[in-house]
Order: sequence, then C-alpha cells, then structure tokens
Amino acid sequence: MIFKQVVDMANIGIVILDRELYVRHWNNWMAMRTGIAKEKILGVHLFDHFPNLDNPRFLRNVKSTLTFGNYLFFSQKLHHYLFPMPAEGSLNMRFDKMQQSCTSYPLRDEDNRITHVCITVQDVTAIAAYEAKLLDMNLRDSLTGAYNRRFLAARLKEEIDRHKRYGRTLSLLMLDIDYFKNVNDTYGHHCGDSVLKSICEVISAMLRNVDLLIRFGGEEFCCLLPETDLAAAMILAERIRKSIEQEVFRFEGREIRLTVSLGVHELHADHDSPESLLRNADKALYRAKETGRNCVFCM
Amino acid sequence: MAEDPREILSEEERDVLQEVMNICFGNAAAELAEVIDIYVVLSVPTVKVISADGLPNYIKTEIRDYRDVSLIEQNFWSKFKGAALLVFSSGAGKALLSIIGGSQNEPTLKSDPLRILERETLMEVGNILVGACVGKVAELLGDVVSYSPPRLLVGNLDGESLSENILDARNIVIVMQAVFNFQDRDVNGYMFIITNHESIGWLKEAIHVFLKQYE
Repeated sequence: MIFKQVVDMANIGIVILDRELYVRHWNNWMAMRTGIAKEKILGVHLFDHFPNLDNPRFLRNVKSTLTFGNYLFFSQKLHHYLFPMPAEGSLNMRFDKMQQSCTSYPLRDEDNRITHVCITVQDVTAIAAYEAKLLDMNLRDSLTGAYNRRFLAARLKEEIDRHKRYGRTLSLLMLDIDYFKNVNDTYGHHCGDSVLKSICEVISAMLRNVDLLIRFGGEEFCCLLPETDLAAAMILAERIRKSIEQEVFRFEGREIRLTVSLGVHELHADHDSPESLLRNADKALYRAKETGRNCVFCM
Repeated sequence: MAEDPREILSEEERDVLQEVMNICFGNAAAELAEVIDIYVVLSVPTVKVISADGLPNYIKTEIRDYRDVSLIEQNFWSKFKGAALLVFSSGAGKALLSIIGGSQNEPTLKSDPLRILERETLMEVGNILVGACVGKVAELLGDVVSYSPPRLLVGNLDGESLSENILDARNIVIVMQAVFNFQDRDVNGYMFIITNHESIGWLKEAIHVFLKQYE
C-alpha cells in the first residue's frame, strides 16, 4: 500500500512489464507525460502503444534483463528516448521529444526467478540541452555562428577518410573579403562585425545542409563541400561571388558594397591530406587575389 | 594488515572457482548467442589473488599488447561485490556500432559526434557482457546482484581511474579474467572481474556449498 503510493508519486516514470512484455504497472508520471491513462494500457502489449520499441536493440536489452538479471542502462546519447513524450517548457527549442535516461531492472519472485522487468524513465532533457549548447559553443565562432577552426581540424580528417573510403568527391572553397580592412578603418569595428555576420548569412543561404561553413580567420572563411566535384564547386563559388557583389550591406544608415575572392580545390584522394587540401585552396585564393580580386580561381 | 595473498584461497578453492567461472562464462556466452544474438567467445578464465596496490600494474602487464584501449568499469554489489573491468582494443566502438546500430527512434542528431556514439555503444555492449558473466557467477553461487551504470575510464590505467573501493591498498583482491572475442568482428578484449576482501568470506563459503553437490 505504502509502496504503491511511492511509485505513483515518484518524479520518474515507472513501468512494469511481464515476461511477454504486457504492461502490468504504469505510474502516474507515465500517465501524465504520455497522455495514456492506466486503464487504457494495463494488460495491453507494450508494442501496441509503442511500436517504436519493437526493434532488436530494445529487445536485446530487455532480454538481457530477463535472462541474466542484468540492470541495463539505456543512455540518452544512444537512444535519445524510449517512450516518445513532448519535451516540456523552453527546452523543446532543441528537442521536440523529452530526452530520457532509462534503466531496466529484473523483478523476482520468492524463488529468485525473474518474473517481470521494471523500466524507470528519467527526464534528462535539460542536461542534454545544456550539453548540446556547450558543445556548440566550443565548435562555433560566437560572432558569426559559423564553425570555428577547432571544428574544421576535427572534421576535415573525418571527411577526408570517408571520401577516400567510398571514393566520393569532396571540395573545399576558401573565401576572403576584399579590402575588408577599409571597412573597419572607415566605419569602425562594429560595422565590420555586422558585415561579417551578414556575409555569413548570404553564404549560408546558398549552402546545402551537408555543407559546412567555417570562419577560418578574421575575414577569411571556408566551405567544406561533401559529394561535390570541382566543376560544381566552381559554379557555387561563382554564385557566392556574384551574390555578395550585388548585396548592399547596411549599417546605421550607411550602405556598403563589398566583393570577395575565392579559391577552390577538389580533394585528390591518393595524395591529399587535410593540410594539402587547405594549402591548395589557399593557393588558389592567393591567385584570385593577385589577379585583381572579386574572382574565383582553382588549382 | 594484509594477509599473504597466497593464503587467501587454497589451491583447491582456486581450482573450484576457476571451474565455476568456466561454467558460468560458457553459459553466459551460450545464452548471449541464443537469446540476444550476440556472438562472443570467452577464453577459459583464470583466477589470481594479488594485493590491491599491485592491481593497476598487473592489469597493465596483462594488456601490454594493446596500444589504444577503451576501459569500461561497472560495479556490482551484493554478497558478491566488486567491479568488472572491460578492456577493449581500439576501433572496437566503431565495429560494435555496426552490429548494434544507432538509435531506432530517429536519425542520429547531426550534433552527435561519432566518437560519442562509439563510446556509448561500448558501454552498452559492455553492460550486457558484464551483466551476463557476473550474473551467471552470482546465480551459480546462489546470489542476486545489483549494478551501477557502466562508466568509461579516461586516461591511463592508474590508481585514479579505478574505483576506490577496489583499490584500498590494504586489501587483497581476487582477479578473475578472460579474453573475449566477438565472432566475425575484429573486436576483442579482456574482462577482469575483481572482488575484494568483503566478498572473500562469502566466496569461500559459496565455493564449499558448490563443491558439496559433487560429494
């Protein structure tokens, strides 16, 4: 009687299943968060309400509890959640579903035989959101929101390995704002910052989801373009060049016009390393600068 | 004061414990394959009794052929109490991720770096493996154990990365170890089940109860 109350009051979800995975207990926490009342789910097979759990991975873990008496910890990082429920409050900005840390435990009879499995559900959305935010802050440039060099260093090697393994194409585009120093000197750093942000917005709008925009240095950016050969990368570079040439940047009532120079390089799987990929794109950019700026070059 | 490690278990007791482990690991591997579709081969286990402060060095020597390792520790407690330590060879996370697969609920979030998924997969597979082996040993000796969540030990295998309760330097530890190998995958490693003085009394008693069945 007392324990029944505790189970219903606890600030975690508690679900008890029999060996055939029929729901035998469903506490208030679960009923409130899922909107599935006890009367509706007790005696019903778990998969009737949660078809998402009918997968080898969940079964493997629950069987591990039923067979070995194991405590199985379902981490949020791997599973995100077991029971889909809406995330509460402001945290659903990042996650539309509550992030959960779940554990399955064996329940035994007097002879120590495992008759049921108990699953507890803990809401870890806040922790997951903070973690994701911290990770993001560590990998992004705070002014423009583009990725930073730390991210590039880690990602470039991974991308190159993947592209070598599967024989796919990969291109890198290096971009530098022409005479950017003049903007800072003439209108001040606030204006320069605002222009950098706007340029990132213009470029981002032209990239696909899989492309990555990185702030490489002060006014230097690069774009990592998976599955893109040199010809396609050249077309994109030219589009970016044109868009920025045509864009009017506004700051405190002033209108500012800018141009960019771009260097493009496609990965040569047999002899390119992260360093040489960057170096070659940079060489191409240098050629573009030498040739008079506001143009695109490749090596 | 610590006793002489050699006197903690008699030769016969050690042989019996080794036999118990052998039966249990065999059962664990068979049931992992039958029920859970995880095919793992466990070597014939060995049992050693050493002093706790010598444990990190002992393990380091045992695994010296491994360059980069991932260490996973999971504690268990009951009458049979201690820690299980899994040492995976490098690249194991990636290989196991391909057996176990990612989340079934939704495509992996873009923000999840692969390394994290590999690490979490190692912990989950480790969780299953440890539970199967420790659970079988406990069952055979008439005990029921509880577990703490697995955790990844970072850095080198030194004193700080192992649970303090194992490494109380005054203590003697019993190390039960085996090599495991996931079939058809290039994943292998060591499992150490380490139990300390708190369990030794019970363990000796359980060994004798176990022996009586054959008398």
